[in-house]
Amino acid sequence: MSKSLVVFTLITLLPFLCYAFSPENPTDRKVLVLLDDFAIKSSHSLFFKSLQSRGFHFDFKLADDPKIALQRYGRYFYDALILFAPTIERFGGSVDSAAILDFVDSGHDLILAADSNASELIREIATECGVDFDEDPAAVVIDHTSYTVSETEGDHTLIASDDLIKSDVIVGSQKIEAPVLFQGIGHTLNPANTLVLKALSASPSAYSANPKSKLSSPPQLTGSAISLVSVIQARNSARILISGSLSLFSNRFFKSGVQKAGSPTKYDKSGNEQFSVELSKWVFHERGHLKAVNVKHHKVGETDEPAMYRINDELEYLVEIYEWSGKAWEPYVADDVQVQFYMMSPYVLKTLSTNNKGLYHTAFKVPDVYGVFQFKVEYQKLGYTTLSLSKQIPVRPFRHNEYERFIPTAYPYYGSAFSMMAGFFIFTIVHLYNK
Amino acid sequence: MARSTSKDAQALFQSLRSAYTATPTTLKIIDLYVIYAVFTALIQVAYMAIVGSFPFNSFLSGVLSCIGTAVLAVCLRIQVNKENKEFKDLAPERAFADFVLCNLVLHLVIINFLG
Repeated sequence: MSKSLVVFTLITLLPFLCYAFSPENPTDRKVLVLLDDFAIKSSHSLFFKSLQSRGFHFDFKLADDPKIALQRYGRYFYDALILFAPTIERFGGSVDSAAILDFVDSGHDLILAADSNASELIREIATECGVDFDEDPAAVVIDHTSYTVSETEGDHTLIASDDLIKSDVIVGSQKIEAPVLFQGIGHTLNPANTLVLKALSASPSAYSANPKSKLSSPPQLTGSAISLVSVIQARNSARILISGSLSLFSNRFFKSGVQKAGSPTKYDKSGNEQFSVELSKWVFHERGHLKAVNVKHHKVGETDEPAMYRINDELEYLVEIYEWSGKAWEPYVADDVQVQFYMMSPYVLKTLSTNNKGLYHTAFKVPDVYGVFQFKVEYQKLGYTTLSLSKQIPVRPFRHNEYERFIPTAYPYYGSAFSMMAGFFIFTIVHLYNK
Repeated sequence: MARSTSKDAQALFQSLRSAYTATPTTLKIIDLYVIYAVFTALIQVAYMAIVGSFPFNSFLSGVLSCIGTAVLAVCLRIQVNKENKEFKDLAPERAFADFVLCNLVLHLVIINFLG
């Protein structure tokens, strides 16, 4: 009686459990937006609107609001955080840089925008993510060849960059034609961090310096080593976007036309809207989030999964891989998913073929080696979440009665053995009766 | 020392043959049996050289049955030879019984190892 009660309680609680954030089903997501002041909410409304239209619920708060909290009793209130507060020195409430990093460590996403005169706090969070902003607080990225043509000559801090990361999954499959406007500070990537990627790089002629003072010594950051916008995918699939410019997301930049210096083409609309919207889709797992389900393997011609294989068995391996599209799990189609049959090193490495409906399949022969093997799928592709599957399976040698009997090649040997016996029999008779 | 010629070799074989003629028929039969076993073993080795060593256990048991047979027959020949003073106390019947027992054991092992 009590057992069925427990089961009943669990079943009724199930919908509530599912409501908690899960990358397996990221719908109805709640985003906390921390702002320097509420003017940003209206000046960047196009960016927020695009996210809202895709089903995100926003909670706008001032960054120094004493009531902000990310979690209580280990439960996070939000699935993602947008930090549009470049000058904040200290967050209100219980939030500090460690809390934000814990938020990311528990698998939540983060968009962080800095700007010229970014605060120490913002720089610290960025550094923890593998991105080092220029240490000079007054420095901004200047480019005397890739600036935007405008009526006034200006100081060439408004950059038009089109050096995007070459990955359809991060910036979208539709090509961003117009250059992206950028005005802000540059950063470099920590070379020890292999997870951080340049989404938007500066041109080789860019440098980071204070535009108001004379350049007395060579600038610290130069050329395409400067990253303008970087993305990070942590090992727990949390995604982070770090931009050196807050105005990159602003309505003004979204709507303004752009003409790159030295280029005759003038675009009516900059690439900012497409770039930031596509990038936000990636950061919020609407693209490039894979899941693998229904891992199956069995002998060719059978359907049941055996507990053990024998050497030289023919087997089939099947796995279904889906990609989250923001609304539903779509079949993932690729021709580079591989499975390893692994014991200390891969004995078999096969590329899986797909039926374009998400099912991946291959067949191979178990090697002539026995021991405890694993089926391993280690799928790491730029922009996609890592798939890491492994399933253990023992492989046994032939049983003594599974070996071939009466091999034609061996008939002479059989014959000789029996002729020896017959010879012995005849010899015995001859020996005994020959007197 | 006189140089050896083909005549000497002929003379040697002649004397060997005449000496062997004096051997009792029983021993001659054993010799024939040994030659048969050794010859079968040689055929198998040649066959293995041609087709390869794949059912190696079968090859081993085939050849070893021949060699075992030959060895046991030689042992029997030593023991039943009247001129062999070492075994003069051993009855030929006892020697033959040993031979049969050893052969049974040998062929039991061979059959087990054959397939």
